[in-house]
Amino acid sequence: MDKIVDLDIAHYKTLLKKYIVTQDEQSLYGVELVSKSFIKNNILPEEIISLHIQALGELYPDINLDVKHSMDFLLEAMISYGLALQEVQILREEQFALKSEISVAASMQDTLLGTTIPDVSGLDIGVISIPANQLNGDYHHFVKGNDGSIGIAMADVIGKGIPAALCMSMIKYAIDSYPEDKMSPKMILKNLNRVVERNVDPSMFITMIYSQYLPSESKLMYASAGHEPGFYYNAAKGTFEEIETEGLILGVLPDTDYKQYELEIHDQDMVIFLTDGVTECRDGERFIETEEVLNVITEYIHLPAQELVTNVYKHFERLQNFQLRDDFTLLILRKEV
Amino acid sequence: MNLNVNIHEDIDKFIVNLSGEIDAYTAPELKENLLPLTKQAGNVVEINFENVEYMDSTGLGIFVSALKSTKENKSSMKLVNLQERILRLFRITGLDKIIDIDTTIRGESVNGKL
Amino acid sequence: MSPHSCVKIRKEWDIVSARQLGREMAKKLGFSTVDQARIATAVSELARNIYLYAEEGQICFEVFETIERKGLRMGAFDTGPGITDISQVMQDGYTTSGGLGAGLPGVKRLMDEFDIQSEIGQGTQIKTVKWVR
Repeated sequence: MDKIVDLDIAHYKTLLKKYIVTQDEQSLYGVELVSKSFIKNNILPEEIISLHIQALGELYPDINLDVKHSMDFLLEAMISYGLALQEVQILREEQFALKSEISVAASMQDTLLGTTIPDVSGLDIGVISIPANQLNGDYHHFVKGNDGSIGIAMADVIGKGIPAALCMSMIKYAIDSYPEDKMSPKMILKNLNRVVERNVDPSMFITMIYSQYLPSESKLMYASAGHEPGFYYNAAKGTFEEIETEGLILGVLPDTDYKQYELEIHDQDMVIFLTDGVTECRDGERFIETEEVLNVITEYIHLPAQELVTNVYKHFERLQNFQLRDDFTLLILRKEV
Repeated sequence: MNLNVNIHEDIDKFIVNLSGEIDAYTAPELKENLLPLTKQAGNVVEINFENVEYMDSTGLGIFVSALKSTKENKSSMKLVNLQERILRLFRITGLDKIIDIDTTIRGESVNGKL
Repeated sequence: MSPHSCVKIRKEWDIVSARQLGREMAKKLGFSTVDQARIATAVSELARNIYLYAEEGQICFEVFETIERKGLRMGAFDTGPGITDISQVMQDGYTTSGGLGAGLPGVKRLMDEFDIQSEIGQGTQIKTVKWVR
């Protein structure tokens, strides 16, 4: 034991002596400080008891034997606590190491899965994707085709954390290998389904909605693999409609065909894609209703798309006391003349 | 929240009564109990959702695994008494087309009585 | 008391006898009260492992002296099933999560030196030393 600890030990004895005589608060405060120093220096509970026994012996050489035995008994009872404490310290260090490892993985994920909103005149796009923990199991990706079309993928891996993140990288590289501007949404899903079915554990699967916007025709084509249906906002009527989707999640059956849908988009119309982290928000024990999501969107509808999604996220973040239960991704696409 | 998994052996089938929430924390227990039942050829497994208040997508994963297992092992599985919110999850994901689900929603009139 | 003695572990009460012998030898060697208690706890852990998993085995003690220092050598020997993955049982949090006790990492901490060898189907040997300070 080093000098500081020796000092603390001497101090402990002095304080104990003083307290036995005066029962003053000052000594108790003193021992609080000593105890903190002990903790800092990894002094175990049984060592403190041993110190106490020693101090008592010095102060009262004629101490009652019963009391002495009872202190020995207490010391014995503390041994396992000391072990448990050491174990907790080790586990805490391990946890710290794991956390920093995960944060490295998270920043790597950001780089690997990074995507930028394409700049297309007549189209205002906003997107926000926030993981519940450090790693994101939601995914979105933009592709600008040579023909001027915009491909938008949004996916959610069932499950969170590391397995979901690993899975996402696979999806991203599979999509990257497709000549996207030459493949329709339904073909992309059909191909991805095969990749996921072959490569992923049966209890894991992915939902995805893949859409292609053709600016020249103001047309959105999309297909869904079991993904949370998004919404279409009809600006002329001022109404939201759930967009029609039907399709099995990726990775369940080896050969699956997907239906493709078409939507005509007019000036100020919006298409909203999201993951279940948005629709499954909880307010305490209560689940929010779809209506609430749409009401919040309406509240900020006058804002540019990026500000709109950010404000919606902030609303639900606050509603859930700043603790997301699931990854949250919201994407809004608005046509502007 | 917890999940209680109670397996009851009937004359011609196993009834798995679930109560509580199925999420990432409770899913492993459900999997441990459910999968062995589907591994026995000829087994008919009925899963009763009457007291399931919540299920997230992790739960879907369990039922997909169970479905695959029923196909491999020639057993069968049926889900009954699903709450609207949970049924919606099976519908959105397209799983209602490949899993046998009794779509009579809990709380709806049964035999004219509520 | 001989410098080398063993206690056979067959039933739970044998754990107490092993503790007793370990403590007596530790006391005689001049270990502090805290170290005596630590040795006794280590004996418990090793003896309980034998009792729970190996059915039969023994805990042996030996006074160990070199020119510079003296210590207590303690070994646990059993003919049980052996340990499949030693790294795993030596990991913190592996056995303790179920409240089973300090486990082998605990024994390693309580003692100064620790060595373990195990053969599947043949048994496990654990050798430890604690030095008098």
